[in-house]
Amino acid sequence: MIALIALPLSLMSLQQGGSIAQRLTGRVSPEIASLVEELGTAASARGLPIDPLIQKAIEGSAKGVPAERVAAALRLVATQLDTAAAALRSGGVASDTIAITAGEFAITAGLSGNDITALARTGANAAALTVGLRVAGTLAALGVPPAEDIGLVSVALRSGEPASSLLLLPAHVQSEMARGVTPAQAAAGLARAAAAQARHGPPPGRGEGHPHPPAPPHP
Amino acid sequence: MSERELHPLVKQLLDGEITLADLPAELRAEGEAALRLLAGVDRTPVSMPAVTWRVMTALERRRRRFVPWLLAPALAIAAALFIWLRVGTPAPAAGLVTVRFVLVAPDAKQVSLAGTFNQWDPQATPLVRTGATGLWTATLTLPAGQHQYAFVVDGARWVPDPGAPAVDDGFGRRNSVLTL
Repeated sequence: MIALIALPLSLMSLQQGGSIAQRLTGRVSPEIASLVEELGTAASARGLPIDPLIQKAIEGSAKGVPAERVAAALRLVATQLDTAAAALRSGGVASDTIAITAGEFAITAGLSGNDITALARTGANAAALTVGLRVAGTLAALGVPPAEDIGLVSVALRSGEPASSLLLLPAHVQSEMARGVTPAQAAAGLARAAAAQARHGPPPGRGEGHPHPPAPPHP
Repeated sequence: MSERELHPLVKQLLDGEITLADLPAELRAEGEAALRLLAGVDRTPVSMPAVTWRVMTALERRRRRFVPWLLAPALAIAAALFIWLRVGTPAPAAGLVTVRFVLVAPDAKQVSLAGTFNQWDPQATPLVRTGATGLWTATLTLPAGQHQYAFVVDGARWVPDPGAPAVDDGFGRRNSVLTL
Protein backbone atom coordinates (compact mmCIF):
# COMPACT_ATOMS: atom_id res chain seq x y z
CA MET A 1 0.00 0.00 0.00
CA ILE A 2 2.80 2.41 0.95
CA ALA A 3 4.53 1.60 -2.33
CA LEU A 4 1.33 2.44 -4.22
CA ILE A 5 1.20 5.86 -2.57
CA ALA A 6 4.95 6.50 -2.71
CA LEU A 7 5.28 5.75 -6.43
CA PRO A 8 2.96 8.55 -7.66
CA LEU A 9 4.52 10.96 -5.15
CA SER A 10 8.01 10.07 -6.41
CA LEU A 11 6.89 10.53 -10.00
CA MET A 12 5.33 13.89 -9.11
CA SER A 13 8.55 14.97 -7.40
CA LEU A 14 10.58 13.98 -10.46
CA GLN A 15 8.17 15.86 -12.71
CA GLN A 16 8.32 18.90 -10.39
CA GLY A 17 12.11 18.80 -10.38
CA GLY A 18 12.19 18.66 -14.16
CA SER A 19 9.81 21.61 -14.39
CA ILE A 20 11.93 23.70 -11.99
CA ALA A 21 15.12 22.90 -13.90
CA GLN A 22 13.46 23.85 -17.19
CA ARG A 23 12.31 27.21 -15.87
CA LEU A 24 15.71 28.07 -14.40
CA THR A 25 17.91 26.93 -17.30
CA GLY A 26 20.14 29.79 -18.43
CA ARG A 27 18.70 32.16 -15.83
CA VAL A 28 20.52 31.25 -12.61
CA SER A 29 23.78 29.61 -11.61
CA PRO A 30 23.83 25.79 -11.32
CA GLU A 31 24.20 25.95 -7.52
CA ILE A 32 21.13 28.19 -7.16
CA ALA A 33 19.19 26.00 -9.59
CA SER A 34 20.11 22.98 -7.49
CA LEU A 35 19.00 24.69 -4.27
CA VAL A 36 15.67 25.77 -5.81
CA GLU A 37 15.09 22.23 -7.00
CA GLU A 38 15.79 20.87 -3.53
CA LEU A 39 13.59 23.45 -1.74
CA GLY A 40 10.91 23.29 -4.44
CA THR A 41 10.61 19.51 -4.38
CA ALA A 42 10.27 19.53 -0.60
CA ALA A 43 7.76 22.38 -0.72
CA SER A 44 5.72 20.68 -3.41
CA ALA A 45 5.56 17.48 -1.37
CA ARG A 46 4.02 19.55 1.46
CA GLY A 47 1.44 21.08 -0.89
CA LEU A 48 3.21 24.44 -1.09
CA PRO A 49 3.64 26.52 -4.26
CA ILE A 50 7.06 26.57 -5.95
CA ASP A 51 6.59 29.69 -8.07
CA PRO A 52 7.72 32.17 -5.36
CA LEU A 53 11.01 30.23 -5.05
CA ILE A 54 11.61 30.24 -8.79
CA GLN A 55 10.77 33.95 -9.05
CA LYS A 56 13.09 34.86 -6.18
CA ALA A 57 15.98 32.92 -7.73
CA ILE A 58 15.48 34.60 -11.12
CA GLU A 59 15.15 38.02 -9.47
CA GLY A 60 18.37 37.55 -7.49
CA SER A 61 20.26 36.50 -10.59
CA ALA A 62 18.86 39.40 -12.67
CA LYS A 63 19.90 41.87 -9.98
CA GLY A 64 23.41 40.40 -9.82
CA VAL A 65 23.06 39.38 -6.19
CA PRO A 66 25.80 37.05 -4.82
CA ALA A 67 24.78 33.38 -4.68
CA GLU A 68 24.96 33.07 -0.89
CA ARG A 69 22.58 35.99 -0.49
CA VAL A 70 20.16 34.52 -3.01
CA ALA A 71 20.33 31.21 -1.13
CA ALA A 72 19.45 32.95 2.14
CA ALA A 73 16.53 34.74 0.48
CA LEU A 74 15.28 31.44 -0.97
CA ARG A 75 15.36 29.75 2.45
CA LEU A 76 13.44 32.70 3.90
CA VAL A 77 10.77 32.37 1.17
CA ALA A 78 10.44 28.63 1.90
CA THR A 79 9.97 29.37 5.61
CA GLN A 80 7.39 32.06 4.87
CA LEU A 81 5.45 29.68 2.63
CA ASP A 82 5.32 27.18 5.50
CA THR A 83 4.19 29.90 7.91
CA ALA A 84 1.47 31.10 5.54
CA ALA A 85 0.16 27.58 4.94
CA ALA A 86 0.07 26.83 8.67
CA ALA A 87 -1.70 30.13 9.37
CA LEU A 88 -4.35 29.39 6.74
CA ARG A 89 -4.88 25.90 8.15
CA SER A 90 -5.32 27.43 11.63
CA GLY A 91 -7.99 29.64 10.13
CA GLY A 92 -9.81 26.62 8.76
CA VAL A 93 -8.79 27.11 5.13
CA ALA A 94 -7.73 24.06 3.13
CA SER A 95 -4.45 24.08 1.17
CA ASP A 96 -4.67 26.44 -1.77
CA THR A 97 -1.36 27.32 -3.42
CA ILE A 98 -2.64 30.68 -4.67
CA ALA A 99 -3.82 31.70 -1.20
CA ILE A 100 -0.54 30.46 0.30
CA THR A 101 1.42 32.59 -2.20
CA ALA A 102 -0.72 35.61 -1.25
CA GLY A 103 -0.09 34.83 2.43
CA GLU A 104 3.66 34.60 1.82
CA PHE A 105 3.56 38.03 0.21
CA ALA A 106 1.62 39.42 3.20
CA ILE A 107 4.35 38.09 5.52
CA THR A 108 7.05 39.67 3.31
CA ALA A 109 5.15 42.95 3.63
CA GLY A 110 5.23 42.76 7.42
CA LEU A 111 2.17 40.83 8.56
CA SER A 112 2.33 37.77 10.83
CA GLY A 113 0.90 34.27 10.73
CA ASN A 114 -1.72 35.38 13.28
CA ASP A 115 -2.82 38.19 10.96
CA ILE A 116 -3.30 35.69 8.15
CA THR A 117 -5.27 33.39 10.43
CA ALA A 118 -7.50 36.31 11.43
CA LEU A 119 -8.32 36.98 7.76
CA ALA A 120 -8.89 33.28 7.10
CA ARG A 121 -11.42 33.22 9.97
CA THR A 122 -13.62 35.84 8.32
CA GLY A 123 -15.24 32.96 6.44
CA ALA A 124 -14.52 34.51 3.04
CA ASN A 125 -14.33 32.10 0.13
CA ALA A 126 -10.90 31.14 -1.25
CA ALA A 127 -10.92 33.69 -4.08
CA ALA A 128 -11.99 36.58 -1.86
CA LEU A 129 -9.50 35.56 0.84
CA THR A 130 -6.67 35.53 -1.71
CA VAL A 131 -7.55 39.06 -2.80
CA GLY A 132 -7.88 40.07 0.87
CA LEU A 133 -4.39 38.73 1.65
CA ARG A 134 -2.88 40.59 -1.31
CA VAL A 135 -4.64 43.81 -0.32
CA ALA A 136 -3.59 43.39 3.34
CA GLY A 137 0.02 42.94 2.20
CA THR A 138 -0.20 46.02 -0.02
CA LEU A 139 -1.64 48.08 2.86
CA ALA A 140 1.23 46.90 5.08
CA ALA A 141 3.65 47.96 2.33
CA LEU A 142 2.02 51.42 2.45
CA GLY A 143 2.79 51.60 6.16
CA VAL A 144 -0.59 50.69 7.63
CA PRO A 145 0.04 48.99 11.03
CA PRO A 146 -1.16 45.33 11.26
CA ALA A 147 -4.07 46.03 13.66
CA GLU A 148 -5.66 48.68 11.41
CA ASP A 149 -4.74 46.73 8.28
CA ILE A 150 -6.41 43.49 9.40
CA GLY A 151 -9.33 45.45 10.88
CA LEU A 152 -10.06 47.14 7.55
CA VAL A 153 -9.66 44.06 5.36
CA SER A 154 -11.66 41.88 7.78
CA VAL A 155 -14.61 44.29 7.73
CA ALA A 156 -14.51 44.37 3.93
CA LEU A 157 -14.35 40.56 3.67
CA ARG A 158 -17.13 40.01 6.22
CA SER A 159 -19.42 42.48 4.47
CA GLY A 160 -18.96 40.50 1.25
CA GLU A 161 -17.52 43.38 -0.76
CA PRO A 162 -16.59 42.36 -4.31
CA ALA A 163 -12.93 41.91 -5.25
CA SER A 164 -13.03 45.14 -7.26
CA SER A 165 -13.89 47.11 -4.08
CA LEU A 166 -11.24 45.33 -2.02
CA LEU A 167 -8.61 46.13 -4.63
CA LEU A 168 -9.41 49.85 -4.34
CA LEU A 169 -8.59 50.00 -0.61
CA PRO A 170 -4.84 50.72 -1.04
CA ALA A 171 -5.65 53.56 -3.46
CA HIS A 172 -8.14 55.02 -0.95
CA VAL A 173 -5.55 54.84 1.82
CA GLN A 174 -2.99 56.51 -0.47
CA SER A 175 -5.42 59.28 -1.33
CA GLU A 176 -6.13 59.89 2.38
CA MET A 177 -2.38 59.92 3.06
CA ALA A 178 -1.96 62.51 0.32
CA ARG A 179 -4.28 64.73 2.39
CA GLY A 180 -1.93 64.47 5.36
CA VAL A 181 -3.58 61.61 7.27
CA THR A 182 -1.36 58.83 8.68
CA PRO A 183 -1.72 55.34 7.18
CA ALA A 184 -3.18 54.05 10.47
CA GLN A 185 -5.77 56.86 10.63
CA ALA A 186 -6.69 56.39 6.97
CA ALA A 187 -7.24 52.64 7.40
CA ALA A 188 -9.17 53.08 10.66
CA GLY A 189 -11.43 55.71 9.07
CA LEU A 190 -12.17 53.50 6.10
CA ALA A 191 -12.87 50.53 8.39
CA ARG A 192 -15.37 52.60 10.42
CA ALA A 193 -17.12 53.75 7.25
CA ALA A 194 -17.27 50.19 5.89
CA ALA A 195 -18.62 48.84 9.19
CA ALA A 196 -21.29 51.56 9.34
CA GLN A 197 -22.30 50.80 5.79
CA ALA A 198 -22.51 47.09 6.56
CA ARG A 199 -24.85 47.88 9.49
CA HIS A 200 -27.08 50.49 7.85
CA GLY A 201 -26.75 49.83 4.12
CA PRO A 202 -25.51 52.26 1.50
CA PRO A 203 -26.23 55.99 1.86
CA PRO A 204 -29.15 57.37 -0.23
CA GLY A 205 -28.35 57.82 -3.90
CA ARG A 206 -25.38 55.45 -3.79
CA GLY A 207 -26.47 52.45 -5.81
CA GLU A 208 -23.10 50.74 -5.59
CA GLY A 209 -23.02 51.39 -1.86
CA HIS A 210 -19.28 52.04 -1.67
CA PRO A 211 -18.22 54.52 1.00
CA HIS A 212 -14.91 55.38 -0.63
CA PRO A 213 -13.96 58.10 -3.10
CA PRO A 214 -12.87 57.10 -6.61
CA ALA A 215 -9.37 55.67 -6.86
CA PRO A 216 -6.55 57.88 -8.11
CA PRO A 217 -4.87 56.76 -11.35
CA HIS A 218 -1.83 54.54 -11.07
CA PRO A 219 0.83 55.31 -10.18
CA MET B 1 -64.07 -10.42 -66.45
CA SER B 2 -64.15 -7.65 -68.98
CA GLU B 3 -67.06 -5.58 -70.28
CA ARG B 4 -66.68 -7.09 -73.77
CA GLU B 5 -67.37 -10.57 -72.45
CA LEU B 6 -70.70 -9.55 -70.86
CA HIS B 7 -73.90 -10.40 -72.65
CA PRO B 8 -75.78 -7.30 -73.92
CA LEU B 9 -78.70 -8.13 -71.59
CA VAL B 10 -76.37 -8.37 -68.59
CA LYS B 11 -74.98 -4.95 -69.61
CA GLN B 12 -78.49 -3.54 -69.54
CA LEU B 13 -78.95 -5.15 -66.11
CA LEU B 14 -75.82 -3.39 -64.82
CA ASP B 15 -77.00 -0.10 -66.34
CA GLY B 16 -80.29 -0.54 -64.48
CA GLU B 17 -82.32 -0.73 -67.66
CA ILE B 18 -83.71 -4.16 -66.81
CA THR B 19 -83.99 -6.26 -63.64
CA LEU B 20 -82.62 -9.71 -62.87
CA ALA B 21 -86.13 -11.13 -63.42
CA ASP B 22 -86.08 -9.82 -67.03
CA LEU B 23 -83.06 -11.95 -67.88
CA PRO B 24 -83.56 -15.34 -69.51
CA ALA B 25 -82.91 -18.27 -67.18
CA GLU B 26 -79.55 -19.17 -68.81
CA LEU B 27 -78.24 -15.61 -68.16
CA ARG B 28 -79.47 -15.30 -64.53
CA ALA B 29 -76.22 -16.73 -63.02
CA GLU B 30 -74.08 -14.39 -65.13
CA GLY B 31 -76.31 -11.43 -64.20
CA GLU B 32 -76.10 -12.22 -60.45
CA ALA B 33 -72.27 -12.50 -60.64
CA ALA B 34 -72.09 -9.13 -62.44
CA LEU B 35 -74.27 -7.47 -59.78
CA ARG B 36 -72.05 -8.90 -56.97
CA LEU B 37 -68.98 -7.41 -58.66
CA LEU B 38 -70.71 -4.04 -58.97
CA ALA B 39 -71.65 -4.05 -55.27
CA GLY B 40 -67.94 -4.43 -54.30
CA VAL B 41 -66.95 -1.23 -56.07
CA ASP B 42 -66.20 1.78 -53.73
CA ARG B 43 -68.81 4.37 -54.61
CA THR B 44 -67.47 7.16 -52.36
CA PRO B 45 -67.54 10.40 -54.33
CA VAL B 46 -63.98 11.43 -55.27
CA SER B 47 -62.95 14.95 -56.19
CA MET B 48 -59.63 16.17 -57.61
CA PRO B 49 -58.68 18.27 -54.55
CA ALA B 50 -59.25 15.22 -52.39
CA VAL B 51 -56.88 13.22 -54.58
CA THR B 52 -54.23 15.93 -54.27
CA TRP B 53 -54.67 15.95 -50.50
CA ARG B 54 -54.32 12.17 -50.30
CA VAL B 55 -51.16 12.21 -52.39
CA MET B 56 -49.65 15.04 -50.34
CA THR B 57 -50.57 13.29 -47.07
CA ALA B 58 -48.85 10.15 -48.25
CA LEU B 59 -45.75 12.12 -49.22
CA GLU B 60 -45.81 13.98 -45.88
CA ARG B 61 -45.95 10.67 -43.99
CA ARG B 62 -42.94 9.48 -45.95
CA ARG B 63 -41.10 12.79 -45.29
CA ARG B 64 -41.84 12.53 -41.55
CA ARG B 65 -40.39 9.06 -41.51
CA PHE B 66 -37.16 10.46 -43.00
CA VAL B 67 -36.86 13.59 -40.80
CA PRO B 68 -35.26 11.84 -37.77
CA TRP B 69 -32.76 10.16 -40.08
CA LEU B 70 -31.87 13.48 -41.66
CA LEU B 71 -31.89 15.41 -38.36
CA ALA B 72 -29.41 13.17 -36.54
CA PRO B 73 -26.47 13.68 -38.93
CA ALA B 74 -27.31 17.38 -39.21
CA LEU B 75 -27.13 17.75 -35.44
CA ALA B 76 -23.90 15.76 -35.32
CA ILE B 77 -22.33 18.02 -37.96
CA ALA B 78 -23.52 21.14 -36.12
CA ALA B 79 -22.09 19.85 -32.82
CA ALA B 80 -18.75 19.02 -34.44
CA LEU B 81 -18.62 22.47 -36.04
CA PHE B 82 -19.42 24.13 -32.70
CA ILE B 83 -16.68 22.20 -30.87
CA TRP B 84 -14.18 22.90 -33.64
CA LEU B 85 -14.94 26.62 -33.56
CA ARG B 86 -14.75 26.70 -29.73
CA VAL B 87 -11.36 24.97 -29.71
CA GLY B 88 -10.03 27.04 -32.57
CA THR B 89 -11.09 30.36 -31.08
CA PRO B 90 -8.71 31.83 -28.50
CA ALA B 91 -10.21 32.34 -25.01
CA PRO B 92 -11.36 35.88 -24.25
CA ALA B 93 -8.78 37.99 -22.50
CA ALA B 94 -10.45 37.89 -19.12
CA GLY B 95 -8.73 39.34 -16.04
CA LEU B 96 -6.30 41.55 -17.92
CA VAL B 97 -5.62 45.09 -16.75
CA THR B 98 -3.85 47.85 -18.65
CA VAL B 99 -1.37 49.75 -16.48
CA ARG B 100 0.74 52.81 -17.29
CA PHE B 101 4.12 52.98 -15.58
CA VAL B 102 5.77 56.40 -15.20
CA LEU B 103 9.18 57.43 -13.91
CA VAL B 104 10.72 60.91 -13.85
CA ALA B 105 14.42 60.48 -14.63
CA PRO B 106 15.75 63.54 -16.52
CA ASP B 107 19.36 62.35 -16.51
CA ALA B 108 18.68 58.77 -17.58
CA LYS B 109 19.79 57.53 -20.99
CA GLN B 110 17.55 54.49 -20.86
CA VAL B 111 14.92 53.15 -18.48
CA SER B 112 13.28 49.74 -18.45
CA LEU B 113 10.89 47.76 -16.31
CA ALA B 114 11.71 44.39 -14.73
CA GLY B 115 9.41 42.34 -12.57
CA THR B 116 7.56 39.15 -11.93
CA PHE B 117 5.56 39.71 -15.15
CA ASN B 118 8.64 39.55 -17.42
CA GLN B 119 10.88 37.15 -15.49
CA TRP B 120 12.86 40.13 -14.13
CA ASP B 121 14.43 40.69 -17.54
CA PRO B 122 15.84 44.25 -17.66
CA GLN B 123 15.83 44.22 -21.47
CA ALA B 124 12.26 43.00 -21.94
CA THR B 125 10.25 46.16 -21.29
CA PRO B 126 11.91 49.48 -22.16
CA LEU B 127 10.20 52.76 -21.24
CA VAL B 128 9.85 55.57 -23.77
CA ARG B 129 11.05 59.09 -23.04
CA THR B 130 8.23 61.61 -23.43
CA GLY B 131 9.30 65.13 -24.45
CA ALA B 132 12.18 66.96 -22.83
CA THR B 133 10.87 66.75 -19.26
CA GLY B 134 12.59 63.49 -18.40
CA LEU B 135 9.33 61.59 -18.15
CA TRP B 136 9.63 57.90 -19.04
CA THR B 137 6.50 55.83 -19.64
CA ALA B 138 5.40 52.32 -20.60
CA THR B 139 1.89 50.89 -20.89
CA LEU B 140 1.45 47.18 -20.23
CA THR B 141 -1.48 44.80 -20.12
CA LEU B 142 -1.01 42.53 -17.12
CA PRO B 143 -3.01 39.64 -15.68
CA ALA B 144 -5.02 40.34 -12.53
CA GLY B 145 -3.09 39.38 -9.43
CA GLN B 146 -0.03 40.62 -7.62
CA HIS B 147 3.14 41.81 -9.31
CA GLN B 148 6.48 43.05 -7.98
CA TYR B 149 8.73 45.21 -10.10
CA ALA B 150 11.41 47.88 -10.26
CA PHE B 151 12.69 50.34 -12.84
CA VAL B 152 16.18 49.69 -14.22
CA VAL B 153 17.92 52.96 -15.02
CA ASP B 154 20.77 52.90 -17.54
CA GLY B 155 20.90 49.11 -17.33
CA ALA B 156 22.44 49.07 -13.86
CA ARG B 157 20.47 50.97 -11.23
CA TRP B 158 17.37 49.23 -9.80
CA VAL B 159 14.92 51.90 -8.64
CA PRO B 160 11.57 51.27 -6.92
CA ASP B 161 8.51 53.13 -8.22
CA PRO B 162 8.20 56.25 -6.04
CA GLY B 163 4.41 56.27 -6.51
CA ALA B 164 3.74 52.67 -5.44
CA PRO B 165 3.95 50.69 -2.19
CA ALA B 166 7.15 48.70 -1.77
CA VAL B 167 8.43 45.67 0.13
CA ASP B 168 11.85 44.32 1.05
CA ASP B 169 13.21 42.23 -1.84
CA GLY B 170 15.33 40.05 0.47
CA PHE B 171 18.54 41.38 -1.08
CA GLY B 172 18.71 44.72 0.72
CA ARG B 173 16.65 46.63 -1.85
CA ARG B 174 12.94 47.39 -2.34
CA ASN B 175 10.47 46.02 -4.88
CA SER B 176 7.40 48.00 -5.86
CA VAL B 177 4.07 46.23 -5.52
CA LEU B 178 1.16 46.30 -7.91
CA THR B 179 -2.08 44.57 -6.90
CA LEU B 180 -4.63 44.21 -9.70
